[in-house]
Amino acid sequence: MGIIKVRDLIYEYIRRDEEGNVEGITTAVDDVSLDIRQGDFVAILGHNGSGKSTLAKHLNAILYPTEGTVWVDGKDTRDDAAVWDIRQTAGMVFQNPDNQIIGQVVEEDVGFGPENMGVPTREIWERVEESLKAVGMYQFRKFSPNKLSGGQKQRVSIAGVIAMHPKCIVLDEPTAMLDPKGRGEVIRAVRALNDVERITIILITHYMEEVIYADKVYVMDKGKVTLEGTPREVFSEVERLKELRLDVPQVTLLAHELRREGFPMPKGVLTNQEFVEALDRCISEAGG
Amino acid sequence: MLRDITLGQYYQADSVIHRLDPRVKLGTTVLFIISLFVFQGVWGYLAAGLFLVLVIRLSTVPFKFMVKGMRSIVFLLSITVIFNLFLTPGEPVVQLWKLTITREGIELAVLLAIRLSFLIIGSSVMTLTTTPNQLTDGLEKMLRPLNKIKVPVHEIAMMMSIALRFIPILMEETDKIMKAQLARCADFDSGNLIKKAKSLVPLLVPLFISAFRRANDLAMAMEARCYRGGDHRTKMKPLHYEKRDYIAYVVVVCYLVCGIAAGRLIG
Repeated sequence: MGIIKVRDLIYEYIRRDEEGNVEGITTAVDDVSLDIRQGDFVAILGHNGSGKSTLAKHLNAILYPTEGTVWVDGKDTRDDAAVWDIRQTAGMVFQNPDNQIIGQVVEEDVGFGPENMGVPTREIWERVEESLKAVGMYQFRKFSPNKLSGGQKQRVSIAGVIAMHPKCIVLDEPTAMLDPKGRGEVIRAVRALNDVERITIILITHYMEEVIYADKVYVMDKGKVTLEGTPREVFSEVERLKELRLDVPQVTLLAHELRREGFPMPKGVLTNQEFVEALDRCISEAGG
Repeated sequence: MLRDITLGQYYQADSVIHRLDPRVKLGTTVLFIISLFVFQGVWGYLAAGLFLVLVIRLSTVPFKFMVKGMRSIVFLLSITVIFNLFLTPGEPVVQLWKLTITREGIELAVLLAIRLSFLIIGSSVMTLTTTPNQLTDGLEKMLRPLNKIKVPVHEIAMMMSIALRFIPILMEETDKIMKAQLARCADFDSGNLIKKAKSLVPLLVPLFISAFRRANDLAMAMEARCYRGGDHRTKMKPLHYEKRDYIAYVVVVCYLVCGIAAGRLIG
């Protein structure tokens, strides 16, 4: 059994008027099933309101399923006794870096999670040091978070999660509020954690460039998973992605347009490198 | 830049006073303030003055930083001095039209001025040598016995430190909203007081909404990191009394005894 298993998950937001009568029900997540293996890098893509953030909050027992079940490391999230274990196993990084940093000094913020878990003082310091080093923020440990850039703050948030020694990190649009430089920093840090520490990563995003390194991609729309597969498989479906109002990486789009014009380009080109190689082949074939 | 504001007025240095446990500094400040009202006569004030000079020298904080804190109370200080000067009955010294300055009045005014200045400088020494963080930690640990009578000490300390963390963020946000409203021809400066107060509404409403949203996000982030109140929590930087803290306590007790003795025996 994988680290995370979701079966037939349905979640409904119920809006009530002032008297508490039900005004309307919005089904944010509609019959979703996932299986995520330990050590995988999984990306969940979707447009605004596709239910991807709601799904993410289920993996950390912040929201509970209306119907269906979520297991994290074999534990049912609806089991009250397991909530703290689950939150420690599946750490969560949110969108706005300012609203998730609690400490007034970087190192204190990273120590917050272990403090809550009751880790002995000496071990907290060890964990803080190794976590800050893992995201390359160790030299900023004495800084006030207010003096860091967005990308740096988000790396501190990630360090704060790593310090709890999770098996899995759920990142809910961690780059949505960052500039391109900050986005790059965060994604590099996340990939390094996946490669080096073998921490399972679940990255929720609507930036296509960030998912090309994933092992598996899920595309969500209106609460349902509409596409799933490797990045190459998903990005082969350019027309389908466009219908879902999702942008495709520029090289993929260019290759797709060329293919439609009759050039023998392969499906699902993901990087500039691949594109250049494919184009080279095209030209030599045409020449030969 | 708004983000560079340091709260309180911490002066970064590495002195004995800086390294003392915040509980020692809090306790000493309270004792010092009490001592100012208990000590009597010139000798009592001399003792307090000497103690203050000693602490300031040890703290290595330049004296002008202490005086900075005084500026805010100049007004209060002058009113107290003037009232005491003219309204104390006793032996007249100077007669100005209908106002009389008495010998007792002068004495009382001078002593009060000294007392108030000592009070302000004394508490500045504490805030200048202790970070807001250490202060909340110190308060939390000192007030822990109140837990027994159901005072949520840990929660209060947590709220204080979160407030300290978010003040610069909310200030920056205020600045942003203000600029956005100014760009749309909002007028914050003209008109009488009521009009000015009314013009703050378009500033405060978005600020409050954003503060609530932030609070909601932060609460979720804290829960996601296993925060569940003060029980079963360990500390990354626990407070421990060191040798120097005990020495400090001894010095403070000596000061109290000397001061009281000086007031009683000599003065």
